[in-house]
Amino acid sequence: MSETRKGFDRRRFLTTAAVGGATIVGASALGGFDADAAFAAPTPSLDPAIARSTFAEGRITAIKGSVLEVAGSYGEKNLIQLTNATSIWKLETVTAESVHVGDGLYARGVPMPDGTMAADAVWVNIVNLYVTVRGIEKKRLHFSHGRNALVGNIVEKKTAAAFRGGALTSNLSQLKIGNHAQVLGAWRPEDDSVDIARITVGH
Amino acid sequence: MACGSTQLWAGESSWFCCGSSWGPCGSAGTGACGTCQSSKNMAAWPNTTAACWDTTNPGACGENMPRRGCGSVMNVKHQCSGATVCITVADCGPNVQDWCSEQTCCNGVCRTHRVIDLTPAAFSVIGNLSSGLVPVYIYE
Repeated sequence: MSETRKGFDRRRFLTTAAVGGATIVGASALGGFDADAAFAAPTPSLDPAIARSTFAEGRITAIKGSVLEVAGSYGEKNLIQLTNATSIWKLETVTAESVHVGDGLYARGVPMPDGTMAADAVWVNIVNLYVTVRGIEKKRLHFSHGRNALVGNIVEKKTAAAFRGGALTSNLSQLKIGNHAQVLGAWRPEDDSVDIARITVGH
Repeated sequence: MACGSTQLWAGESSWFCCGSSWGPCGSAGTGACGTCQSSKNMAAWPNTTAACWDTTNPGACGENMPRRGCGSVMNVKHQCSGATVCITVADCGPNVQDWCSEQTCCNGVCRTHRVIDLTPAAFSVIGNLSSGLVPVYIYE
């Protein structure tokens, strides 16, 4: 099955699931779906009968069943419905139980007639920041991000690094103070730090 | 102006946040054009002005993309999936010189050098935010 076809089928299921109220969250009836493929499913393959995908962002203010109430950064309110077909990322692929009030998110999905978005993919607390390395400790890194300081947590078996175009490695020993880097990770609202999924060091 | 189909450039695309937002992105600001928002289909281009070019320095990687100012529109297409998003240029970036020789590949074909940064809204149309990078063709 092509990636395009998988995207088509996933979206058809997503809409059907949301309309039918089959919003069982957690263990997926579609366990065969690869999370990366789901997140990457291209949108132009949408069936014309299914509305174009939409995007939402903001912070979760309430969780009511399978619906996330999200306050957008420009004052808008978004209702994001999780379904069996929703892929959720929070440093890694997780289930809905890992999503909490106060988390930030980006979501991609299909607009539903009732005003909710049936989510295809939800990225919780994800950040991708250009930083400069200011300090190196065994379990955390210190960065400057714009005019602000930022702490990055090294997460065992999850944090990886790439140096100057090289392959990903778990060995961070090449990191140097002053390195310009990009940090992809999950923000922690409780202490404003970032759990690092990947740090990419440039020239 | 509408997004077109004339090939303009190719390379890697990353993503960045801008405008009002949550977490560390809250301090990102609205970019060099003053209009950038994470929830809109927007992008940073390394040659929006002469000053922008001097900052991003694409020439260090052998790139010589043309100037396209704030408000320019482009189609950004994933090299392999064909997924496409029409974006509006809203910032100066990425800092190309930092990422010379970096490659992103799909189906055995690679694109080298970061040549455009997309907002989360735009990037999510053509790829997975957690992948961080996608190889793209750019049209206008």
